[in-house]
Amino acid sequence: MKWTRIFRTWEFALAVLLVLEILVLGWINPVFFNLENLLYSTLDFSHILFAALPLTLVIITAGIDISGVSIMGLASITLGLIWVAGVNIFVALAIALLVGILAGAFNGFFVAKTDVNPLVITLGTLFMYAGIAQGMPALLDFLGFKAYGSAGLAAYQYEGITGLPDSFIALTEGTVGIVPYPFILVLLFAAALSLLLHKTRFGRYLYLIGVNPKAAAYSGVPIQKVLVWAYVLSGFGAALAGVMLTSYFTSARADLGGDALLPIITAVVLGGADILGGSGTILGTLLAGMLLGFLRQGLLAIGVTNDLIQVVIGALLISAMAVKQLMHVYGEYRLNRKALSQKERG
Amino acid sequence: MKRLLSSREALVTGLLLLLIVITGLFNPNFFKFDSIVEIFNASLTLVLISLGEMFVILTRGIDVSVGATAGLAAVVLGTTLNLGWPVGWAIVAALATGTLAGMLNAFGVTMLRVPPIIMTLGTLGIYRGLMRIITGGSWIENLPQSIKEPNLWSFAGVPFFVWLTALVIATTAYWTLRARPARYFYAVGDNEEGAYLLGLPVRPTQFMAYTLAGVFAAMAAIVFTSQIGFVSMNAADGFELKAIAANVLGGVSLTGGVGTPLGAAVGALFLTAVHSMLIFLGVPGIWDNAFAGVILLAVVYVDYRVRSTLESQRRQARIRGDVGGGAS
Repeated sequence: MKWTRIFRTWEFALAVLLVLEILVLGWINPVFFNLENLLYSTLDFSHILFAALPLTLVIITAGIDISGVSIMGLASITLGLIWVAGVNIFVALAIALLVGILAGAFNGFFVAKTDVNPLVITLGTLFMYAGIAQGMPALLDFLGFKAYGSAGLAAYQYEGITGLPDSFIALTEGTVGIVPYPFILVLLFAAALSLLLHKTRFGRYLYLIGVNPKAAAYSGVPIQKVLVWAYVLSGFGAALAGVMLTSYFTSARADLGGDALLPIITAVVLGGADILGGSGTILGTLLAGMLLGFLRQGLLAIGVTNDLIQVVIGALLISAMAVKQLMHVYGEYRLNRKALSQKERG
Repeated sequence: MKRLLSSREALVTGLLLLLIVITGLFNPNFFKFDSIVEIFNASLTLVLISLGEMFVILTRGIDVSVGATAGLAAVVLGTTLNLGWPVGWAIVAALATGTLAGMLNAFGVTMLRVPPIIMTLGTLGIYRGLMRIITGGSWIENLPQSIKEPNLWSFAGVPFFVWLTALVIATTAYWTLRARPARYFYAVGDNEEGAYLLGLPVRPTQFMAYTLAGVFAAMAAIVFTSQIGFVSMNAADGFELKAIAANVLGGVSLTGGVGTPLGAAVGALFLTAVHSMLIFLGVPGIWDNAFAGVILLAVVYVDYRVRSTLESQRRQARIRGDVGGGAS
């Protein structure tokens, strides 16, 4: 393998774009050149990465999981309610993550045991988890368990469960040097998932299932087990995102992350994963997520409104895919031409 | 019995009737003519959006931008009305907006070959953003009476919009059953390559499906704007997912080529009725989503079990040498 091949990979293109983006945004607004600011701004989109990184594994198997945005809210409200009940905040955190794992396992079992389209299943669980998260405080209220402090249910519904301990808030306020904790955790998570995907048998199985599930079944791949684990990881990532957002917003809410679906899927797809399965890398998702996150921050910094940013990100997603598709078509065309001309020559 | 069970429309209609009876037993007020009409009236927006979505799903595509399209069309309707346009022209503008939004999706999917979920996820962001940019983020209120008027019309105690939607469903149902171009949706969704080799216009059919989804979303926008009398910035938010859920409930398969307009409409009616029923049963509205999700999962699971049982019976019959037998 020639080392120059690295320049032709999608990940390399993303890395170049990322550098260019920071240069251009910094040129417009020098505040952006400050490394500390740049790292600090990752706090605003770390949750996207926590959810998008493991979702890459699911998309590689030709599946999809859109219920992550609901799992975020479910994890957040679980954490809040258990803490209000008098349990240590870090025990509550562990239980919230466990809830994410269970929610992911439910998705995974449903996908693995039936032939129902994963989009339908996770659409159903998207509603179900969101509904449970929204209903739980009201149910507890109905049962006489006052989960929301002295301000009453109405206040809770307005501002969520607040007054979380400082030690928990420190999870997102703390830094190592100038790097915020969540970003370090994102990098560790990405490294772990990358090893899992590219260096283990499990990882290869994911690709094989995505490319050709029948061939995978005939060659003895434990498809059901692999699928369940992929969705479990996705649920875990979403719960992690929910917990991180809870700490960042200093309040536990059932509707956290409701608008994160578009950026999460954009990050995975822009990162090079094929929605039809069989391709994608963790590095690609990480770079694409950062590209999108910094773009948002940069545009906000130079005074572009949130609404216009949404339009820009949507357009970016479509044009990136269109360019990729057209390049693919052109590549096929060139290969065909080459093959034909060789045939003519002899 | 087997045939009834394997027809999703029948299964969901049965389930709906069962739920209605149970709710009625707990709260007899539910059986009143007015409450039933009210459920129909409340379901119109979702029914119309789901009908449009159905065409896309039939061709084995997916459109997650229909809610945003409806929102955008509603904003255009409200803005043009407040600019003093006559109601007729404002409605034309809203329909044109929906058509154009649908055509943009269609262009991306059929010409640029962007996978449908990516294309429509992108336009979801674009249309939602445009909505807020047009209005500057504020609600559109003080709409003229001319747009609210049709909502008050009624014939035989049933609102005009219910009649109109029923007419749209009937026309669509007749059209998809009888008209040749409408059968193309099924052919393309069932087997795209096969349809192409048969000489069917595959891409124009797909183009038409996404465009229709936009048109139906605009119709829904007109109905709900008339019903509620203002346009909020999260109008029709999340309807894309509800429309997909309604279609799946009603038996429109995401693998393409299977489903009917009646199924899509019943699915949408079901999702809306659940909301009303929970209220009549005294359950807080906050549980809507959980209930809808559980029902959706239960229905697809039952459907899966029925299909796999039928399939294994067919296989057993074939092993016994009874070729082609067992298929009901």
